[in-house]
Amino acid sequence: MSGGTPSTFEFLGLTFNVGNMISILIACAVVLGLVYALSRHLTMKPGKGQNVLEYAVDFTNGIVNSSIPGKTSKTLGLWGFTLFMFIIIANLEGLFLHIDVSGVAFVKSPTSDPVVTMTLSLMTMTLAQFLGIRKLGYKGHFENYLKPFVFFLPINLFEEFTNFLTLGLRLFGNILSGEMLLGIIVNMAHGGPVIWIGAFILELVWTGFSVFIGCIQAYVFVTLSSVYISRKIELED
Amino acid sequence: MFSYSIVGAQLYVGDMLFVMISFLVLMWLVKIVAWKPITKMMQNRSDKIASDIDSAKESRTKAADLAEKRQTELQKTREDANGIINTAKQNGQEQREKIVEDARNEASNLKSSAEKDIEQQRQEALANSRKDVASLSVEIATKIISKELNADDQKDLVDSYIEGLGKQK
Repeated sequence: MSGGTPSTFEFLGLTFNVGNMISILIACAVVLGLVYALSRHLTMKPGKGQNVLEYAVDFTNGIVNSSIPGKTSKTLGLWGFTLFMFIIIANLEGLFLHIDVSGVAFVKSPTSDPVVTMTLSLMTMTLAQFLGIRKLGYKGHFENYLKPFVFFLPINLFEEFTNFLTLGLRLFGNILSGEMLLGIIVNMAHGGPVIWIGAFILELVWTGFSVFIGCIQAYVFVTLSSVYISRKIELED
Repeated sequence: MFSYSIVGAQLYVGDMLFVMISFLVLMWLVKIVAWKPITKMMQNRSDKIASDIDSAKESRTKAADLAEKRQTELQKTREDANGIINTAKQNGQEQREKIVEDARNEASNLKSSAEKDIEQQRQEALANSRKDVASLSVEIATKIISKELNADDQKDLVDSYIEGLGKQK
């Protein structure tokens, strides 16, 4: 991940990172495949796969419903589910499969790239603004920035920006540090057989911890996104 | 101008677009493949559970009603049975008494007719024996008389008899 400039190409004046694209496509394919496999033969009395899927749906619905009140939470169920599944798979992707070709990462966790996490964060913020305007109208929505006093306008704007920044950077930092330390441990293993065994054990422990962190961060991302959205669709006093 | 972001990684606008589009496409596909059927199924299930609970409540009250009805019917049947048994007992008692009475009457009838018969037979026997005694005594008398008629000292006695006979007539 570090070192070597990533392999990029330009298309319509936009720069694309091949590594990111491959990783994102893999993450999407895994999510879709998983969901597809679990949603076969849906019955009233759920089987094993259906149970897993229903548990996941209930879990993300619970996250969304707990912070977003009323009817909006129902329409956001799909968004919460997809976001959670995508982020958790993206977080774990780099732990299972990491392909570097001469220092350039082609398969890694897409969420270890700030561009990806900031984009997800930006999408959440955009969604929050959109839902806020739809719920309260333009007037009600933008008046929220002037509350409790008119002088709070810069503070409120700044808060929006920091929310966007911290939401993306939290996820990126956690996943990047996990991958980076894994890379360092792998490099350490080249030192000899004794160190190799030590590095192996250390790597096992750290991978487990990274899996834990990846799941927690996916949960945190969805929870915070829901909270930011819920704040936008309520009139502040 | 924005080729570098604050953390030093390069900002690829193309990647941002790619992430957005792929996320939206993923969301759409997930909706088609799993979200719609699974939410529909979950909704159906919760509906079914609610209706099951309702129908269970309904059938429970129905069963309670039925049990109560059965209980009263059972009570009624028991009373009917008791009534039937009592009348049967009473009938039996009456019949028994009637039979005994009949038997007693018959017995007394039989007894009285037997007594009558016996009396009649006794009378007949008495009459016969009287007839026999008369004829026997006449015979004996004839024999005695024929045997000792010749004696002279009996002459008075015979005369007296004859006198007696004549007096009787």
